Amino acid sequence: MMRISTSWMYQQSVTTMLNQEGELSNTQNQVSTGLRISVPSDDPTGAAQVVSLNHVLAENTGYTNNITAANTRLSTETSALSSVTNLLNSANDIGLSAINSSLSSSDLSNMATQLTQLRDQLVQLANTTDGNGSPLFAGTSTTATPFVQSSSGSVTYAGNNQQSLTAIGQGLQVANSDPGSSVFMDIPAGNGSFVASAGSGNTGTLVVGANSVTDTTAWTAANASGPVNDTITFGANGTYAVTDANGNPVNDANGNPITGTYQDGGSITFDGLSVTMSGSPAAGDTVSVNADTAQNTQNVFTTLNNMITALQSGNANSTSLNNTLNRQLESLNQAMTSVSNTQVSVGSRIDTLQQQQSSYSDLSVTYQSALSDVQNVDMATAISNLSLQSTALQASQQVFAKVQGLSLFNYIQS
Amino acid sequence: MSSMLNIGISGLNAAQVALSTVSNNIANASTSGYSEESVMQVESVTQNTGRYTVGSGVNVAAVQRAYSQYLTSALWSSNSSLQSATTMSNLTGTLNSSFSSSGNLQTSLDNFYSGFSSVANSPSLASTRQAALGTASSLTATYNTLGQQLSQQSSQVNAQIGGTVTSINTLTSQIAQLNGQIGQASLGGNPNTLLDQRDQLVQQLSGLTGVSAVTESNGTVSVYTSAGGTLVSGNQSYNLSSGANQYDPTSTDVFDSSGNDVTAQLSGGSLGALISYRNTVLEPAQNQLGQSALALATSVNAQQAQGLDLNGKQGQPIFSVSSPAVLPSSKNSATAATVTASVSDVSQTTSSDYILSYTGSGTGTNGWSLSTTAGQSVALTANADGTLSANGLTFSVSGTAQTGDSYEIEPTRNAATSLAVTMTDPSGIAAAAALTATAATANTGTGEVSSIGVSDATNSNLLAGATVTFGAGGAYTVTDGSGNTTTGTYTAGQPITADGWSLSLSGAPASGDKFAIAANTNGLNDNSNALSLAALSNSKVLDGGTTSVIGSYANLTAQVGTAGSQATAALTTQTSLYNQAESSQQSLAGVNLNQEAANLVQFQQAYQASAQVISTAQQLFTSLITAIQDG
Repeated sequence: MMRISTSWMYQQSVTTMLNQEGELSNTQNQVSTGLRISVPSDDPTGAAQVVSLNHVLAENTGYTNNITAANTRLSTETSALSSVTNLLNSANDIGLSAINSSLSSSDLSNMATQLTQLRDQLVQLANTTDGNGSPLFAGTSTTATPFVQSSSGSVTYAGNNQQSLTAIGQGLQVANSDPGSSVFMDIPAGNGSFVASAGSGNTGTLVVGANSVTDTTAWTAANASGPVNDTITFGANGTYAVTDANGNPVNDANGNPITGTYQDGGSITFDGLSVTMSGSPAAGDTVSVNADTAQNTQNVFTTLNNMITALQSGNANSTSLNNTLNRQLESLNQAMTSVSNTQVSVGSRIDTLQQQQSSYSDLSVTYQSALSDVQNVDMATAISNLSLQSTALQASQQVFAKVQGLSLFNYIQS
Repeated sequence: MSSMLNIGISGLNAAQVALSTVSNNIANASTSGYSEESVMQVESVTQNTGRYTVGSGVNVAAVQRAYSQYLTSALWSSNSSLQSATTMSNLTGTLNSSFSSSGNLQTSLDNFYSGFSSVANSPSLASTRQAALGTASSLTATYNTLGQQLSQQSSQVNAQIGGTVTSINTLTSQIAQLNGQIGQASLGGNPNTLLDQRDQLVQQLSGLTGVSAVTESNGTVSVYTSAGGTLVSGNQSYNLSSGANQYDPTSTDVFDSSGNDVTAQLSGGSLGALISYRNTVLEPAQNQLGQSALALATSVNAQQAQGLDLNGKQGQPIFSVSSPAVLPSSKNSATAATVTASVSDVSQTTSSDYILSYTGSGTGTNGWSLSTTAGQSVALTANADGTLSANGLTFSVSGTAQTGDSYEIEPTRNAATSLAVTMTDPSGIAAAAALTATAATANTGTGEVSSIGVSDATNSNLLAGATVTFGAGGAYTVTDGSGNTTTGTYTAGQPITADGWSLSLSGAPASGDKFAIAANTNGLNDNSNALSLAALSNSKVLDGGTTSVIGSYANLTAQVGTAGSQATAALTTQTSLYNQAESSQQSLAGVNLNQEAANLVQFQQAYQASAQVISTAQQLFTSLITAIQDG
């Protein structure tokens, strides 16, 4: 027989009800906050997961913000570069028309004025800034105007050659700008491989036209022992010979000195390169061929300035004007190539950014749902627990009310 | 006739005692510690008249309390466990709510790192720099708050240890006093009230600390601590005392009456829980939080030093954090050496505290040995400069150590509370790379700079500039800013290092080629160091390079949570065990009012019956007298 202590019985009933109330309030708290974990002890592993998932989500947000910032900068750069392309095209048109037409010197002077405006505009474009006022084409320098124009019109670069990067993922960085030095300044001269230019003391009507490398193997071989620095010297009646920097004859593949006779409109080929010319050279006229080296570059502003100077001072349709304009147009083409290469590279970076952005937005959804799985309470379960627990509490209360009336003293009063 | 009267009176008396006992039971039905009492009645010695014997009534032999030594001891022991579990659960509960309310450390850390990301997006913009410094301040505020909550709890726990010791002493002296009274009263019968009171006091004492109680033959009880020390013997009590730990004066330890430190041996009861909570939950949590603060400050400051700020100066520290505390023992000799400790490698630090002790020359490492406060021995390494290293810490000793001297090292205990932002100027954030390297334009070889980095930010010549000039066969000469030269031979793929920088080249430099290394003062809009600062967010700087600062916080959360959920589970278990024990004990010793009601009726009737016996005896006597008068 189990003997029950009366006070213990009361105490137990009260304790039971207190416990039930505690559980009920716990469930109520879960339902009202929607959270399964309100303190780490509710689920230690889950609480640690919540920290990690929140961290990953914060990081995703951070990377997304970085992408937005980089995107803004690169879009600004793209539009600036498009304007630059248009501008260079106009300059190219002016240059071509100056060569091909017979113009008066006042026409040339007007063209020079037009080019001067284009150059000033180009300086402005090169100094384009992003939304925060930092120049796009200054590298990583803090200068506010990377391209400084002197009163004479020549332009110097005050930035540096570095690219600033944006982190768009762990260990994943994308350049958010291009240094002005690579876009506008360090542009290979001539056709990109070498410069062919008529000697300044030429007396004939020889104009150097299109020139290019036609045989890369031979060209590479010719440059193996140092950059090509050759001179074509004309004799009487278009005969010519080729000598190197030291004045020694340049030999062909069979070891014979390169010589020949030039005809108007023909081309001279040696060392894998080909130079087309027009007009007739006087005896003693020269054409120099210099391979591009790191020092042998010409910035786009100098190119425009050279054109302006030639147009201002030159006589229409003169040999020297045509020679100068041909060389500068070659340089201008290199500048346009440099700009369009940069544009392509910027475009592919923007692509990368967009891909990364969409992958982050997908990942955020995934992590959010993982977070909610760990952290949030399952409402259906919680609410059913809530009603179960409140029923249990009611039952305890009713039982207590019944039991407390049971006492022998109730019957032995009389 | 007179015997009948006597028998009646004895019955009346017995019923009266029984009724008083029942009344007392009913009155004390809700008194805690009260044991139900019952009357032991015995027959009076019979009188032999020769031919037959007649009983001579009833005697009250004793009023006994319902008592079982076994059940009461079980109750005491489960009370120890229950109070221990309750205290533990309360303390870990407080700790857990600190972590849920200040649990924004992860948010603060992420905000802080993303502040550097913003700086990287526009390195020279003053507003983003200001905002980044702002997130640094709120991060330190979060660390400080959390650290302070923990250290407040630590002082509360220490104060409670002292308070509990006082309560224990009060109880033991009362028990000893009652023991004395019981010893005297036992000669005259069962001192039930005193016994109940004393058992109740032992019950209370068992809630404060684990005890074992032994009842002696004279009715007194001897009480011993879980460590075996005597608390009460007869009418003598032995006081515990609380005092400062020999190393850490802010930490309260418990000493026995002979002055020995018995802290580590006490278990059970709220005192045991307080000590165990302090040693196994709170201090590790403080240390681990401090460890993450230390790792944060060290990694950020080190990365700062690898870059240039907006003024073109090498980056200065953003954070300051306290160095490890070295607490000499109060028992050290008067001429003890001075020991200082510093953190040499954060990734090797642990959340342990250590005891560094001098065991005499010829022993240990240079006479010193190191162990964790938990007693695990740690190997010390002697360094060339005379210092000692272990677990990412470096100890240096000045003065002459005496054998037996010891020091407690708390590497990161106060790091979280002491973390502070020392940088005030936003332009001090070192966003730009420290150095640039450029190939000379006249170079003829294919060698190009692939990277230039800082390998030793503390080198004073780091930013002085230098030129690397190649000679024949890969030989190179480094000419630094002061004109000093060093030479070496270049191996493809191997960096060239000097003056704290490290230059990696690609391609093959030709003889006469030059590379210039200079401070990146023309590239202050650079963001590469800001990117590195932001990337510290995932950099594994702790636990030998396996855990990031945020990871360490996640671990800490799990650790604190586990302590909390274990304590809750233990409390549930101990509550039900205690309920069982109390239920069994109460089943025997508790008062059941229905039973008392029945007894009341029973003894009332017994009283009435005895009264009737007396009345009958009186009638008989009267009849006899009347008969004599008539006759």
